[in-house]
Amino acid sequence: MEERDAILKKKREADRVIITPDELEQLDPVIEKYYGNPGYLIPALKEAQEIFGYLPQEVQYKLAVGLNIPASHVYGVVTFYSFFTIQPRGRHVIRLCLGTACYVKGAKEILEIVQREVGIDVGQTSDDGRFTLEAVRCLGACGLAPVFLVGENTHGNVIPGQTVKILDGYQ
Amino acid sequence: MVTLTIDGVEVTVERGTTILEAAQQAGIRIPTLCHDKRLIPYGSCRLCMVEVTARGRTRTMPACFNPARDGMEVATHTENLIYSRKMQLMLLLRSHPLLCPSCDAAGDCQLQNLVHEYEVGEPPFARESRYFHVDNESHFIRHNMNLCIRCGMCVRICDEVQGQRELSFVNRGMECEVSTDFGRPLDCEFCGQCASVCPVGAITSKWLVGTGRQFELKKTDTTCAFCSLGCRLTLGEKNDKIVYVDSPHAGPNEGSLCVKGRYGWPYVYAEQRLTKPLIRKDGSLREVDWNEALAFVANGLMKVKNATGGSSLGAIGSARLTNEEAYVFNRFVRTVMETANLDHAGGHAYRPLTDAFGPALGYPASPNSVRELRDADVVVLFGADITETHPIAKNEVIAANGRRKARPIIVDSIQTKLTERMGSLFLQVRPGTEYVIANAMLKWIIDGDMVDKKALDLRANGFDELTASLAEYTVENAARITGVSAHLIAEAAKVYAEAGNAAIVLASGMNRVGNTVELAQAAVNLALVTGRIGKRSSGVHLLSEKANSQGALDMGLAPDLLPGFHRIEDEAARAKFSEVWDGAIPESKGLSAREMLDNAESGELRGLYVVGENPVDSYPDRGRVEKALSSLEFLVVQDMFMTSTAKVAHAVLPVASFAEKSGTYTSTDRRVQRLTRAIKNTSAKSDLELFTALAAMMGKPSLTYAGSEQIMEEIARLVEVYAGISYGRLGTQGLVWPCVDPDDQGKELLYEGGFPIGKAHLVPAPTLPEPSDDGLPMYLIPAVLKFHSGSMSERSSSLLEVCPPGTAEMNAKDLKALGLKEGDTVKITSGNGASVQVAAKWSRRAVEGSVIVPYHFSALKLNTFTKWDQPVVKVKVEKV
Repeated sequence: MEERDAILKKKREADRVIITPDELEQLDPVIEKYYGNPGYLIPALKEAQEIFGYLPQEVQYKLAVGLNIPASHVYGVVTFYSFFTIQPRGRHVIRLCLGTACYVKGAKEILEIVQREVGIDVGQTSDDGRFTLEAVRCLGACGLAPVFLVGENTHGNVIPGQTVKILDGYQ
Repeated sequence: MVTLTIDGVEVTVERGTTILEAAQQAGIRIPTLCHDKRLIPYGSCRLCMVEVTARGRTRTMPACFNPARDGMEVATHTENLIYSRKMQLMLLLRSHPLLCPSCDAAGDCQLQNLVHEYEVGEPPFARESRYFHVDNESHFIRHNMNLCIRCGMCVRICDEVQGQRELSFVNRGMECEVSTDFGRPLDCEFCGQCASVCPVGAITSKWLVGTGRQFELKKTDTTCAFCSLGCRLTLGEKNDKIVYVDSPHAGPNEGSLCVKGRYGWPYVYAEQRLTKPLIRKDGSLREVDWNEALAFVANGLMKVKNATGGSSLGAIGSARLTNEEAYVFNRFVRTVMETANLDHAGGHAYRPLTDAFGPALGYPASPNSVRELRDADVVVLFGADITETHPIAKNEVIAANGRRKARPIIVDSIQTKLTERMGSLFLQVRPGTEYVIANAMLKWIIDGDMVDKKALDLRANGFDELTASLAEYTVENAARITGVSAHLIAEAAKVYAEAGNAAIVLASGMNRVGNTVELAQAAVNLALVTGRIGKRSSGVHLLSEKANSQGALDMGLAPDLLPGFHRIEDEAARAKFSEVWDGAIPESKGLSAREMLDNAESGELRGLYVVGENPVDSYPDRGRVEKALSSLEFLVVQDMFMTSTAKVAHAVLPVASFAEKSGTYTSTDRRVQRLTRAIKNTSAKSDLELFTALAAMMGKPSLTYAGSEQIMEEIARLVEVYAGISYGRLGTQGLVWPCVDPDDQGKELLYEGGFPIGKAHLVPAPTLPEPSDDGLPMYLIPAVLKFHSGSMSERSSSLLEVCPPGTAEMNAKDLKALGLKEGDTVKITSGNGASVQVAAKWSRRAVEGSVIVPYHFSALKLNTFTKWDQPVVKVKVEKV
């Protein structure tokens, strides 16, 4: 439990001001659009994430005040949906399908290659900010198994050996 | 009404009642882990599943949120249901660590009890352990989410009842847990409601950690001694020391408590508690034994009385005395000290009741009960920051707002927690001009022809005079004086006039802004004209300051009153009391607290007996109070602590705290409730014992009682509205006066069938005030904090830990304009030269142009700024 506490504390430290007040002003049009309207939390969060790429503490607090929602509830929603992220993401998000079909067709090898070659685990972002790796349950494209997305692009029927070559296309 | 059968028992319940509630009424227990009557049914634990047979079909459904219907047959304990509950418990145990031997909740854990009841053995599932959030840093409350069963009670009570919305479910699926945003420590009201509803040990009050098991505690039910709402408390003692406080669910507060009630009690054990009486010898206060001290006090008072008569003596009581003590104090002052000079609460905090409510309606008391607020559609709060002053009354407004979409209209000069609620209207007025808004609203309603004139004429007189006196109170004029836009005042008036149930809330107290007779009159007029008096969930609520504010008034602690609101000038009343009291009662009205101090300064008043009040710290115009008290020949102070007033006294008598005495308190909604002695091993004497001992020494041995119960019998004989009240009848709910005979259940709602004075009186409004401007830039608002109330809370180690003294709350813009950072020291100076240095703090409460300083802390001496007629002053704020 102490270990867990230590991790929590460390995480909180890392969350500290990364977004400056000036940058935070970009959020004003979003708040203006949904001012005092708690029902629009999810579209507001989505638009905020489009602006900043992630949803750090300051952004969530500003939205909470603007939309008149308690900050704890905003945090609850952000942590509920895997689409939202509190940590900055890489320029390219790899969403690797680990569903049954992909798994038996070699998704595990692809995962190992990414882990080895890019040096990140599931949920992590590479130090150079290039990639974030996410594992998903099913992309609904089992006919293309094994499949992964990089950003908006789908890569299907991947032969594990090609993984590095595909990723090289994203700088 | 619907009739259904539960386990063969036929029950008839109101439409809309759930099956669970119907079963409870029938005395059948259905197990639950996520149900509380204060909360909206949630249905997450699935333990309340019952088999319902209706129209020939049997289905299994949760009892907690399915309504009872006619002809239902409900089975609560079939074999299938027992199997299903057992399975449900096993699934809960799968991820609930079995740390029961070291868990603080053991013995009081509902999960543990159910596992025992349903004989659940080792579950057939593999146990899993994940690590969740643990918070040991928050004040008072400890979170260990590893023990959580995700019933959501804490999240819901924080949301639906407290309106604090501090907790939320975070993450998803198996990782789901309850947490604040980003897992930070709590920064909330610290009411501890989350800990009190947690069915397991996931959220606990820290003090119980390692202190004792619930079943080891000796429990005493009593009444809270902080504010005037009269919440029921259960004091849990181990080894004759209070270690834990909770609230019984059957009481009027339904188990809800605020931070002061639940965690504020350590002042009872404060080191600063006086244990021995002190008398002034050779210029300094020395500890002496009780006999010497009492003889000294009796002689001192007798000496003044014999020299210049009883009228040169005065007495100031307190709204913290029990009804019995206040009654005996009245008798003591009037027949032993032989003076009419008796007052309490600065002589002005209760004036809205006696000078506005009493003459207009009949009784100097709030006509509605606080619980009714939850069914209101509109709640207008005039200068009443009830989040801070009466947190449990705020819960009722939150419930109305959350469930009925009730609109709070806040007329105040500070932003309160309620201004953030959905649908609220915030009329930000200049301090002290709240009544102008009330009058302007009334004029707008009358001009808009929204008054049922015929109904009003039957109930009240003086409408034409009132209308004439309101001529100047147009919304435009009110806008100019108060600084609120005319449009907003008109909207508030419209919302109030059109609402079904509309309640008005005022808060009284010493140094409280807007606590004026004018405001109370305007509010009563507004409610009367719109037909809201004598109506449930409407009316006017005046929430008084202290635990027995209403009772002190009922017992006549005022210069012109005898118990039961009899005027002292009334010969028949005097005769009635003097017969029982065995002594003559002064014939004319005595001096008020303020006049007593004025006369002390001029030398006409020579002896003063102060019981439980602290004029030096709490009355306005500190300099004059100090001067007046120091010119007295003989000053006796009876208090729990060495207050600033006690320091200048000639004799100081220590007294018992609320936990060390028995009696009754009357709450602000007229509910008379028992105070039961919990701590027995104490050297402190109760105020009552002191009054009788002194009376005996001062030649009136007939003033003696066998105990507080005997006094209540005497009160019941002499005070009409208390006639039906006796200790035997005061259960967990107490009794609400008027309760006129032993079968009377009391009246929560006054004036339903008419007024005791025939017709109500509408009092004309005062002339429109003109805004004064003395040139200084900012308003100093002496404010209230929910963590403090004065000399008791100031000595409560727990409350000081969460809220240390001495901050000036300011708006972000003002801080920026003055070049201040949070924590910088500022100097606040008023026109009369008074100044104080405090740390500045950013606050959402403060609006632009005002600085809020809590007046509870004696060290700040905030009453050097205020005057008797001027609770709000303009000041200059500068950086040090």
